[in-house]
Amino acid sequence: MSDARQYGELATQLVTESRRSTQTDTLLKYNDSLVRSIIREQRDLEKVAVAHVLATADALTPPPALMIIQTAIARNKRCLLAYHNHRISFLCTLYWSLGASLPPLLSAESTSIRAKLSPHEVDYLRSYHASVMTFRSEFSHELDITASITQPPKDLHVLVHVVRDCGVIQTESGSIDFRMGRRFMVRRSDIEHLIVQGYLEEV
Amino acid sequence: MPDVEKPPAEPPADPETPLEQLTRHWMNERHAPDILPAQDVLLSSLLDHIRRQSDTIQLLRGDPSSSEEEHIRIMLAQTEVERVKFVVRSYVRTRLFKIETYARYIIANEDVQTRITAAERAYASRHAHLIDRHFYASVLQSLPESQAGLDDIPNFIMPRMITEPETTRAVFAHALEDVTVRTPEGRTVDLKQGSLTLLSFAAVANLIASGQVELV
Repeated sequence: MSDARQYGELATQLVTESRRSTQTDTLLKYNDSLVRSIIREQRDLEKVAVAHVLATADALTPPPALMIIQTAIARNKRCLLAYHNHRISFLCTLYWSLGASLPPLLSAESTSIRAKLSPHEVDYLRSYHASVMTFRSEFSHELDITASITQPPKDLHVLVHVVRDCGVIQTESGSIDFRMGRRFMVRRSDIEHLIVQGYLEEV
Repeated sequence: MPDVEKPPAEPPADPETPLEQLTRHWMNERHAPDILPAQDVLLSSLLDHIRRQSDTIQLLRGDPSSSEEEHIRIMLAQTEVERVKFVVRSYVRTRLFKIETYARYIIANEDVQTRITAAERAYASRHAHLIDRHFYASVLQSLPESQAGLDDIPNFIMPRMITEPETTRAVFAHALEDVTVRTPEGRTVDLKQGSLTLLSFAAVANLIASGQVELV
């Protein structure tokens, strides 16, 4: 550990990153090197703390230095957890806003989100998706709880404009081939997820 | 038709329809900081109703002999079903959001567990497990052994790791009948039927559950 640096300085950088991400409403790339440096700092602090404990084993009260190191350790650890927690809650919000589907988040080409994730975050999203799907199956006979809840439905049907090819989709009035540039009048509940995922646009 | 019915002195309380009940619970849930008791009986009866309505609509739509006028009626029924579904969805999702936020608090607290359905309990424990695993895999397993616990920092150094609902948050309580509220500080407040009062959530939690007060 370099002596020029203050305890907790790196952790402050990390939470600043979370803050910036909230303010700009974007997900920044997972800062693996900074996380690693803080974990290294934690190990160094731990060694210093152990040395202090051994050196003052017969003192009645712990030395003040030990208290400071303890606080630094606690703060660093909380910052690390906060950073990771902030990221997964951001991802979950994104997941729901995309109609509770993984492909738009994890597919390699469509967005650059996947490149910003740590492997653990990809794992987390997969398990989270599985858990949501299990919960959804409780209601599967009546409705899809993952559909949009931002706008109450006003009309049954909606005129849509196809902005990206999405192949043949089964709707209640038969299957429709959604080709780019065409317009269709379809039932909202059949294609709502395609609007959310950006294949169709409401006219 | 003779239209001479005098308005009775005390207007009879119209029994709420199931949808009105759900709408009330939905608004309460959206405004309450804590998870309210689950309405599984009400919800499952509504879900049954949705399913029956949808089946009937399917049947009628497939019937070639139905007239133009019937088609309009079918469309209205269909729209109404979609609107009910919206409320159900929003209600379920509001609860799900709270369950995610308080997952670790819920699995440690049996009192809250009695307020949620079996599916929600299962979701809470899955979610708490998921978060623990993510924290462990990305942070804790790399830390020295003495720091690798999730909640091992003494509370006087750091706030607790478990997020708890903020039950003292102020809410707007709309009294559905005359009631007396006892606040946690020991004061009593009389609420007149129809009045709106700003109170701490903890003071009215029981009255919300019994349906005497709703949140707006």
